[in-house]
Amino acid sequence: MQEKMDLFNNLKKKSELFVALGGLVFAIGIVLFLALQSTTGDSNNVIPFLVMGAGAIVGAVGGGTFAKLKSRFKTEVLTAFFEENLPGIQYHPFSGLMELDVYQTEFLKRADRFHSEDLLQGQLEEVDFASSDVRLEERHVQHTKNGTRVYYVPYFVGRVFMFTFNKPFEGHLQVLESGSPLSGRNFKKVELESIDFNKKFRTFSTNELSAFYVLTPDIMEAINELEKRNPGRIGLSFTGKNLYIAINNNRDTFEIQLFRRIDKQMMDGFKRDLMVIKDFIHTLKLNTKVFQTPDK
Amino acid sequence: MITLMTNLGITLLVIAGVLLLIVFWYIGTMNQLRQLELKVNEAESGIDVALTKRFDMLTKMLETTKGYAKHESETLEKVVKWRSGIPQNATLKDKEEFLGQMNQVASGIDVVVEKYPDLKANTVFLELQAAVANTEEHLQAARRLYNANVTRINHVIVTFPQSIVANAIHMEKKPYFEAEEKKRQDVEFKF
Repeated sequence: MQEKMDLFNNLKKKSELFVALGGLVFAIGIVLFLALQSTTGDSNNVIPFLVMGAGAIVGAVGGGTFAKLKSRFKTEVLTAFFEENLPGIQYHPFSGLMELDVYQTEFLKRADRFHSEDLLQGQLEEVDFASSDVRLEERHVQHTKNGTRVYYVPYFVGRVFMFTFNKPFEGHLQVLESGSPLSGRNFKKVELESIDFNKKFRTFSTNELSAFYVLTPDIMEAINELEKRNPGRIGLSFTGKNLYIAINNNRDTFEIQLFRRIDKQMMDGFKRDLMVIKDFIHTLKLNTKVFQTPDK
Repeated sequence: MITLMTNLGITLLVIAGVLLLIVFWYIGTMNQLRQLELKVNEAESGIDVALTKRFDMLTKMLETTKGYAKHESETLEKVVKWRSGIPQNATLKDKEEFLGQMNQVASGIDVVVEKYPDLKANTVFLELQAAVANTEEHLQAARRLYNANVTRINHVIVTFPQSIVANAIHMEKKPYFEAEEKKRQDVEFKF
């Protein structure tokens, strides 16, 4: 592993050099433009723009090289690293959960632009799971005197998880830090007996008794703990035989960064992000067999 | 004279307005209490359903154990006073007592399983064991829901000024379903 980290650190240097150089040359171009404008008043001089253009090209080359390096790192390093830490797990860096799966949460709004990657799936302690990074953006249109401008604003950047849920119950249940269910089902707000839990989360269910059945005091405590351990807005949706968890933390997981060394600390961070799956399964007791349906 | 009558008119209107507000508030509070009471009753029937399910599962388990331990099964059957489930006029106290009896039966079955380990190999028995565990969870949920609804209505009944309306319609504080599941290892059975 250390050899691979060193290799990628060396390969990264070239990209970082290009990006830094490109940025510097671009900055020089700007300074040149401002200097020429203030001294000669000539804003049509081509030279500063050529310098800026050159800087942009060099920077873009560096960025492009780095993007390819990121993909290579995921394929050559992370795949084996994840398999080593969670045997049997499948990692597909360029795939993600399908749009349909993400909207099965029934609390994430349909996006105008959808992107998912870093798909992890497999089975852990007889619990099937899948997770990926998800980015959801909505389209905005701005009318100005110069015309119409269309732009996209992200409203969810984080991870979505899908687990099989072992406790059969009637209806649908959602536990949300913010927002409300987005479905045609007859969700009603439920107040549980824990004041702290009700302050932190909003619980909605189509069957009040099912809410109390699923959200035992232990599970409520577990959800509280998971929320503390995973910064960001968390939402849980118990629907059918699945449990969906979404964490909106504005993070793109499993990415190496420019100007940041790939070292043990970074790999430990990747491992922590991977082990979140195991943490969910253990903390929420998804691996308990007591209530499994007879056909399991 | 006209001024006096206008002033009187305004005063009367204000008084009528205040009285109307009080009436609306009274009706609103009364409806709120009735609705909360309905929720408590609904939750109590949820407890009945859960108790009945548990009773049915335990009865089936006892039937299964008869093939292995006839004497013990018959002894356990006598623990429960209602052989055909909860009667319609049962009070909350009666239901708590019924739950306590079923807990004793469940503990007794555990003792039988320890005495006759062959039972653990019986597929039907194992399925029933999972089903009983499930009914226990449902019962806990029903109890918690009932108690949460009781807390809500009792809070309104004792809080001023809603307490005035509660007293006027003779609504009293509701009791909690307080039966605690006895820990199985605490109950001793000697067959």
